[in-house]
Amino acid sequence: MKVSLFITCLCDMFSSDVGKDTVEILERVGCEVDFPETQTCCGQPAYNSGYLTDAKESMKQMMKAFRFSDYVVGPSGSCVGMLKEYPKLFENDLVWRDEAKRLADKSYEVTQFLVDVLGVVDVGSTFKGKITYHPSCHMTRILGVKDAPMTLLKHVEGADLTELPAKEDCCGFGGTFAVKNSMISGEMVKEKAAHVSETGADYLVGGDMGCLLNIGGRMRREGKHVKVAHITEILNQH
Amino acid sequence: MTIMNRESFLNNVTANLHRPRRTEGVERPEWSVQPQDEVLSGLSQDELVDVLEKHCAVIHTEFKRTDRTGLAAVLKETVEGYAGKTIVASSDPRNADYGLHDFYQSIQDDGLEVHLWDEKEGKGNQAVAERADVGITFSDITLAESGTVTLFNNKYNGRAISLMPRNYIAIIPKSTIVPRLTQATKQIHEANEAGNDVASCVSFVSGPSNSADIEMNLIVGVHGPVEVTYIVVDD
Amino acid sequence: MSIKLGDASYEERVQEGVQNEFMRQAVASAQGRFRSGKQKQADKLGNWEDWRTLGEEIRTHTLENIDYYLQLLSDNVSKRGGNVFFAQTAEEANDYIQHVIKEKNAQKVVKSKSMVTEEIGMNEALEEVGADVVESDLGEWILQLDEDPPSHIVAPAVHKNKEQVKETFTEKKGYNQSSQPEELASFAREQLRQEFLSADVGITGCNFAVAESGAVTLVTNEGNARMATTIPDTQISVMGMERVVPTYEELDILVSLLTRAAVGQDLTSYVTSITGTRLEGETDGPEDYHLVIVDNGRSKILGTEFQSALHCIRCAACINVCPVYRHVGGHAYGSVYPGPIGAVLTPLLDGYEDHKELPYASSLCGACTEACPVKIPLHEQLIRHREIIVEQEKMTPRSERLAMKGFAKWGSSPAAYKMSTAMARSAMKPWTKDETVANGPGPLKGWTVNRDFPAPAKQTFRSWFKERQKGGES
Repeated sequence: MKVSLFITCLCDMFSSDVGKDTVEILERVGCEVDFPETQTCCGQPAYNSGYLTDAKESMKQMMKAFRFSDYVVGPSGSCVGMLKEYPKLFENDLVWRDEAKRLADKSYEVTQFLVDVLGVVDVGSTFKGKITYHPSCHMTRILGVKDAPMTLLKHVEGADLTELPAKEDCCGFGGTFAVKNSMISGEMVKEKAAHVSETGADYLVGGDMGCLLNIGGRMRREGKHVKVAHITEILNQH
Repeated sequence: MTIMNRESFLNNVTANLHRPRRTEGVERPEWSVQPQDEVLSGLSQDELVDVLEKHCAVIHTEFKRTDRTGLAAVLKETVEGYAGKTIVASSDPRNADYGLHDFYQSIQDDGLEVHLWDEKEGKGNQAVAERADVGITFSDITLAESGTVTLFNNKYNGRAISLMPRNYIAIIPKSTIVPRLTQATKQIHEANEAGNDVASCVSFVSGPSNSADIEMNLIVGVHGPVEVTYIVVDD
Repeated sequence: MSIKLGDASYEERVQEGVQNEFMRQAVASAQGRFRSGKQKQADKLGNWEDWRTLGEEIRTHTLENIDYYLQLLSDNVSKRGGNVFFAQTAEEANDYIQHVIKEKNAQKVVKSKSMVTEEIGMNEALEEVGADVVESDLGEWILQLDEDPPSHIVAPAVHKNKEQVKETFTEKKGYNQSSQPEELASFAREQLRQEFLSADVGITGCNFAVAESGAVTLVTNEGNARMATTIPDTQISVMGMERVVPTYEELDILVSLLTRAAVGQDLTSYVTSITGTRLEGETDGPEDYHLVIVDNGRSKILGTEFQSALHCIRCAACINVCPVYRHVGGHAYGSVYPGPIGAVLTPLLDGYEDHKELPYASSLCGACTEACPVKIPLHEQLIRHREIIVEQEKMTPRSERLAMKGFAKWGSSPAAYKMSTAMARSAMKPWTKDETVANGPGPLKGWTVNRDFPAPAKQTFRSWFKERQKGGES
């Protein structure tokens, strides 16, 4: 199966390991992975800030970049969730309407792709450590992926999973929200970090880089030793 | 009575909807789902009584069960439990069927004051309700799911009886019990469609009044009754 | 009072909220209770999503035909002896209510909790004509005595503790007992009972009005709405025009959704459905009844992408799950309608000028949308507001607009994108120490007050992938 990786701008810049892990996992389960070089950003920072016209410039570039892909798979519930919104945003645009729908229909978040498309629940990873998982808001509520990440984590040999209290609460990232409303965002991430500490986990795992930058940044500021890991990092240990 | 400013108001509403004004011919669509019909469906009357009893614990309401012959004794015991000296009750046509005239006479003979709602006394009714310790009415439709007695308030059954005294007793003929609000509203809707005007006040009462306005602490008994007893009567 | 509360700026209000430790704890614990109550109800039913679907369908149909249903409602109220006044604006509504009060020569008005009367500033209007207005909902009474606005649409005094309540009662009403909630409530019962008995006029809001019969339905736990509709001879109900339902059958669904979503109860202690005046032979209930139907900006929302905001049944489920609300409290919104629904409705009803920050007071986490019992896409509507603020109202700062223009260029040009991601690390170097930015420049400043920011990675993904491909090829 041929899969195009959608790296997302955050992973591209801040955590290239997530991309590497995603590629290796997909290859291990039998996919052929390519990387369309002309991809940029899904447009969410501008879209969520109200700059729809500016956001659409980036969105069009994404549609062009993935025009010839069979499947588009990315390590982010939020960014893939954004791609899924394109059809609504280009509903009245005769030029881009069909392209928007095609991209949305073939795009998947990586755990969603593994579990729901490939039917893989065990990627053969082994990981020693106490893990707690933060389900990101956009992964669960916008994209609607609620179970796939936990399904995969439960099959990781040796992983000790512990539930994060109030896990459904937002960490306060929210893209430009963290900058524009930094005081409120700061209070939200303090609360999230406290919940993470309560679990006594060694690793905080998530499926969205934005949340992980935010929570990880707070844990680091507090001098906490909890390591922050993208889910693909755990799934690629073997 | 008068309706003021309606035309300009509704014409403006219509203009915003970008279509001609609709004054007739609007039908409710068939809804895609009807989950309300599934709740407690297929339960027997006795099973509904059990549901009601269980829910009484949730809504801080005393539950008692008896039959017509035992009703007077249960009422007496309940009134005594409330240390009731003044009773206000509906002059419900069912009072005769359930032997309540005799009951009220007997407690009057014992020295209690009993006032049956009487339209001729006008506001005097409310004055008695205000100083009464106990209010007693029948339930017209009883909702098992929520532990609710439905009262069609009218000239026999004043609104104040179930509201102003500190204690309230609802007599619930078993046959009035239905699964939930759905059956009650359906009944009212159908009566309305058949041209029977709905009561000026329909009160759905589920246990004593309460509030959680101070630090989210549940306080039972605020403006309405503080204590409530339901007596289910096998009829 | 009107929709807008106070003159403090958004930043000041947020800061005040964040610094109010007691309030934040109280709000967090209230949210916890409301949420678990609602969840229990959803679990008990097992098909909550079907209930939401039905709620949404009913609200959609009703709003699409609202002219028809309001006409039917008003005809039926009139048939049952009530007067109906259609008020386009808050002023018209208040003028009419003042007129009724003056005509009755009313000295005392007793009120049950109503958001729409807060919205139109009715209490102040009545005080202008010399009427003594008494709030009878326990929470609202506490706030009235303390001259403090509500901070939650279901639990208005959620931000106050019992010591504060005791102090208020002591100062304003000569209370001399403890701060036990039971004793405080019992005192309120005695005091307010006297107010009910001496009131000339009762004023209520309206949770739902049934078009087929003209019944105005009130959903309460305390019983104050029953008192206000039982004792005074004159009654006025004030309703937002969208609060109409076709028949009793839809009333069933919406009341069930409201009590479950709001407080996790199957039904509240009292659901009271009042139709017109008292009938012949009846001795309680009003002999003179008025229904005031208020537009006050609602009709402008019809026919727009925000129409579904009018589906709101004021249950506060969105407020109870909102993490922003939890940390700043209701007053930070500067509106009688706080939380996510407030952030959507307030600019629609009262314009962007005073409320342009509200649509941004959300991380767009979508918890509100998921919680809404009538499926209002709240977080999406917040984004629509932001688009209007940016593209139509042009209210955002020039620096932000330029940055977003830059974003558009960056995102639409693979070459520019590639170059900037490759250079990000060196660009951030002056602020980087141990792979961390602890005190960031420009827009990162706010971020780094509370948390670190990572330095961009040594190698971007795309350069790694390229190298790997080359390696594979050779």
